[in-house]
Amino acid sequence: MNALRTAAIAHHFAAFGVDDPLVDAALATATAHGADFAELYFQHSTSTSLGLSDRAVNRCHTSVDLGVGVRVVIGDQVGYAWTEDLSRAAVLRAAATAAEIARGAGRPARTPGIARRAEPADFYPLARAWSDVSLQERLPLVRAWEAAAFARDPRVRKVQVSLGDGESRVYIARADGLRVGDFRPMTTASVACTIEDDAGRKETGHYNLAGRTDLAFYTPDRQDRLVTEAVDRAIKALDAGEAPAGELPVVMAAGSSGILLHEAIGHGLEADFNRKGTSIFADRMDTAIASPEVTLIDDATLPGARGSLNVDDEGNPTQRTTLVERGVLRSYLHDAISAAHYGVAPTGSGRRQGFRHAPLPRMRATYMEAGPHDPAEIIASVKRGLYCEDFANGQVQIGGGDFAFYVRFGYLIEDGRLTRPVKDVNLVGNGPKVLSTIDMVGHDLAIDEGGWTCGKDGQSVPVSQGMPTVRVASLSVGGGR
Amino acid sequence: MSAAQPLFDLANDLIAAARALGAQEVSVSVGQSTTTSIQRRDGQVEEASSSIGKRLSLTLLVDDRWSSHGTSDLRPEALSAFVASAVEATRVLEPDPARRLAPASECGRGASEADLDHLDPAWAALSPDDRADAAQAIETALAAHRGPDTISTTCWFSDGHSDSVDVTSHGFADHSESAWFSTGGAVTLSDAEGRRPEGYAGYATRYRADLPGLDRIGAEAFLRAREAIGSGPAPSGRYTLILPGRVAGRILGTLMGPLSGGSIHHGRSCLADKLDTRIGSDLLHLVDDPTIPRGLGSEPWDGDLRVAQPRVVIEHGVLRTHYLSTYYARKLDRPVTTDGPSNWVLAAGDRSVEALAAEHPRAIVVSGFLGGNANGLTGDFSYGIRGTLLEHGAPVKQLSEMNVSGNLLTFFHKLIAVADDPWVYSSLRSPTLVFDDVAFSGT
Repeated sequence: MNALRTAAIAHHFAAFGVDDPLVDAALATATAHGADFAELYFQHSTSTSLGLSDRAVNRCHTSVDLGVGVRVVIGDQVGYAWTEDLSRAAVLRAAATAAEIARGAGRPARTPGIARRAEPADFYPLARAWSDVSLQERLPLVRAWEAAAFARDPRVRKVQVSLGDGESRVYIARADGLRVGDFRPMTTASVACTIEDDAGRKETGHYNLAGRTDLAFYTPDRQDRLVTEAVDRAIKALDAGEAPAGELPVVMAAGSSGILLHEAIGHGLEADFNRKGTSIFADRMDTAIASPEVTLIDDATLPGARGSLNVDDEGNPTQRTTLVERGVLRSYLHDAISAAHYGVAPTGSGRRQGFRHAPLPRMRATYMEAGPHDPAEIIASVKRGLYCEDFANGQVQIGGGDFAFYVRFGYLIEDGRLTRPVKDVNLVGNGPKVLSTIDMVGHDLAIDEGGWTCGKDGQSVPVSQGMPTVRVASLSVGGGR
Repeated sequence: MSAAQPLFDLANDLIAAARALGAQEVSVSVGQSTTTSIQRRDGQVEEASSSIGKRLSLTLLVDDRWSSHGTSDLRPEALSAFVASAVEATRVLEPDPARRLAPASECGRGASEADLDHLDPAWAALSPDDRADAAQAIETALAAHRGPDTISTTCWFSDGHSDSVDVTSHGFADHSESAWFSTGGAVTLSDAEGRRPEGYAGYATRYRADLPGLDRIGAEAFLRAREAIGSGPAPSGRYTLILPGRVAGRILGTLMGPLSGGSIHHGRSCLADKLDTRIGSDLLHLVDDPTIPRGLGSEPWDGDLRVAQPRVVIEHGVLRTHYLSTYYARKLDRPVTTDGPSNWVLAAGDRSVEALAAEHPRAIVVSGFLGGNANGLTGDFSYGIRGTLLEHGAPVKQLSEMNVSGNLLTFFHKLIAVADDPWVYSSLRSPTLVFDDVAFSGT
C-alpha cells in the first residue's frame, strides 16, 4: 500500500478520535434489529481553490467536510442517517436512527463480524499530497496559464483561471467485519477566456483538466493544451454558425464524445434501475442491445483518472467491468443491494457523493473499445451529417431510453469533408435505437481528461469517459436551419 | 437563551479569532439543518433517511485581499487551525480593492420573520408516525391510478428545518429560521414497444398545508407517464410553443446567467448592454420579490446582507435590473442592486390555458425537457423536449426525440399570451407561457 496513503488514513483517525471501540459500538447499534448489510462511512475532505481574474490571483476558497453516514439494509429497504458530529453520542444516535428501518422486520440482532482489514489497490499513486503543496508553489502555474492565454491571440480580452485540489479520506466499517480506508486526491484546472475581434464579435472558450493525481499531472504538454484549447475554442466558435435541424448521420470525435455512451446506455445499465424494472435495459441480459461493433467498458482502474477508485463506497474492490461485449449485454453496474438481488458479485460500482448520501450503482470511467476504422475514413463515409467535437452536458430518461447531449462545437460534414463550423446545439436520440446503428468504430480510442461530473438522485460524483471516433446512423439535431 | 444563541456565540468567536490574526473585515454564517425523508416503492418503505448538519462559512478581507472558506469540523481545536490557515491563505493572494462588506447602513432585514412566514408551526409537531402516514397516503393515492401497464410507483414525503445566523465584524447580527416540505410521486409504465415511459410529479412548499391534495399528485404522475406512451418526433418546423409554468424555469432560468454581474463583468453576457431596452413583448413582466410570505426563495437579506426588497427585473418587456452585488457593482462602477435572484414572479394573465391553446391551429405543449444548454454570451439555446402536439387545443400526437432552439434576445419578443395558472411550488413562479413561431427540430 502506498506509504503516503497509509500515513494519511492513520493520521485521520488519530486526529479525529474515531477508534475501533466506537466503530464496534456503532455497528452493534446499527444492527440491533437485524440487518442484511450495514456500514459506517467516515469521511474527512479538504479542498482548496485558487482563482485568477482581472489579471490578479485574487480569490481563494478552502473547505473542510467531516462526518459519518450510517446505512442499514434489510432486503432492498435502506435506513440512512448522517451526522457531522463525530462524538460518541452523535455517532450512536445516527446508528440507532438508521436501524429504525429494520424495526418490525422481525429479525434477530445481527452480531457484527470479526474485524478484518482490507488493503485496496492503488490506482492513484501520489508522489506528493496536495496538502504538502503551498499556495506560493501554485501561484506561478496560475499566472503562467493566464499569460499564455493572452499571448496566444491578440483578440483575447478577459482570462479567468482556477486551480483546485482536494483530498478525501474515507474509512468504511461494515457489519460483516470489513474495514477499509482510502485516500482520494483530486485536482482540477480550468482556463476560460473571452475574445473580441475588430468587428466587435465576441465569444467565449474554456477548457479544463482533472484527475486523481498530484502536481506532477501538470506537465508542459498538459499546461499547453489547457491554454491553447481554451483560446482556440473561442476563436473557432467566433466563426461557427447555427447547426442544421432534423435527423442526420453523426460522427462523434474521439475523447469526450464518450458522453454519448454515458447517457445512451451507461445510466440504463446501473443495476438499481434494472432491479426496479424501470430501465429500458431491464431483462435484456445476454441479449444483443447494440451493434456488434460496440464493446463497452466501465473501468475504475485507469491510473490517475478522475473516475477511478481503489475501493468503492461500500468497501468493495473495484474492477474493469465489461458491460457490453460485441453488442451483447454482459453486466450491469452493481452495488451491494443489486448484486444480492441478482446473485452476482458486486462490480465495485457502489458510489456516493459523500457521507450525506447512501451509495448507488454509478459509472466510473466509461468508454468504448477501439475498432478497425481510420477516423478519416469514417468522416469520408458521410454524405451529409454532423461532426461533434466539443461537449457540455447530457441527460437521459431511463425508462423510455431517450437521451440528449449538448454539442458546444462541431462541423457540418458535406460530401465526406468537414465544412461549415457549427456550435451550441442539443442532440437527442433513443439509446437502444442509436446503439444498434453505431456502424463504424475508429482505432483512436481516447480517454478524456476533463472534469466530468455525473448527477443522479441529487448526488454528484466525478467520472471519466472516452470514445474512439464513431459513426451513428441518425440523431435528431436541434439546430434552427 | 434562544436556540440561536450558540450559533451567534460561535460566529462571534470566529470573528474575534480572525480579527486577532489581522483580518480587517470578517463575515460569518453558521447554519444548522435537519432533514427527514421517507421514500416508498411498490408497497414498502424503500429508504428512510435522517440527518442533522451544522456548517459555517467565513469570508475574510486581509489587507485588501479576499477569500472564502467553509467547514463542518466545528471542534474548537479544528476551528482554530481553520481560521489560522484561512487568514494565512488570504495573505498569499493579490489585492482586490473592490472587495468590501456592504456598508453597515445598507445591511439589515427586509421582511420580518413573521411577514416571511417561512416556519410552519406544524413542522416541530411532526412525529415519525406522521411522516410514515404521509408517505403511505401518497402511495395509496398513486395506487388508485395503477393499471396492468404499471411497472413501478415510487413516492416520497420529505421535510426539513434550518436555523442560521449571519454576523459581521461591522455589527450585523441576525437570525432566520425556516422549514420546508416536499412530496411527489414517480411512475414507470410498460408500452407495446418495450419502452418504459416515466412520469413524475413533485412539489415543494414552506407550509405542509400548502402541499397539493393527494389526488392531484397521483393523477399528475400517471398523466405524465401516459403522455409518453407511443411518443415520437414530429416534422421539423416552426410551431406555437405552450410552456407550462411547471417547466418554464428551464428556459426562463437561462436569463439568470446573463443578468449576473459576474457574467457582465467578465464579458459573457448577451444582456450586458440591454438595460432599459426592450428584450421581450409587453407580456414579459418579471418581478424579483424576496418578501413573498411562504415563498421558497424568500429571504430577509441578500447574499451581501443587504436589506432584501422587491424589484422589477423586466418591466413589460423592458430590462430594468442587472444583478449587481457589492463586488461587481464596484468592479463595473455602477450602483448596487442585489447579488442574485430570490423569487421570480412572472405576471399571469386572465385566461385559461385551454382557452389559449384552442386558438392555435398547431401548437406544441412542452411537458418536460431533456438536456440542452444555452450560450450566455450569444443567447443561443437548444433543449431536448417531450410534449404533445395540439391542433386547435386537441392532442393529436405525443412527442419525444425533438429539440426546441432559439435565441434569448429574440425569443421573448414572441411571447404572445400568458395564462391564469401561476405555478407556486418553486421560487420561479410562472404561469403557462405561449410563444409564437418557435423552431422545433424532429424528423
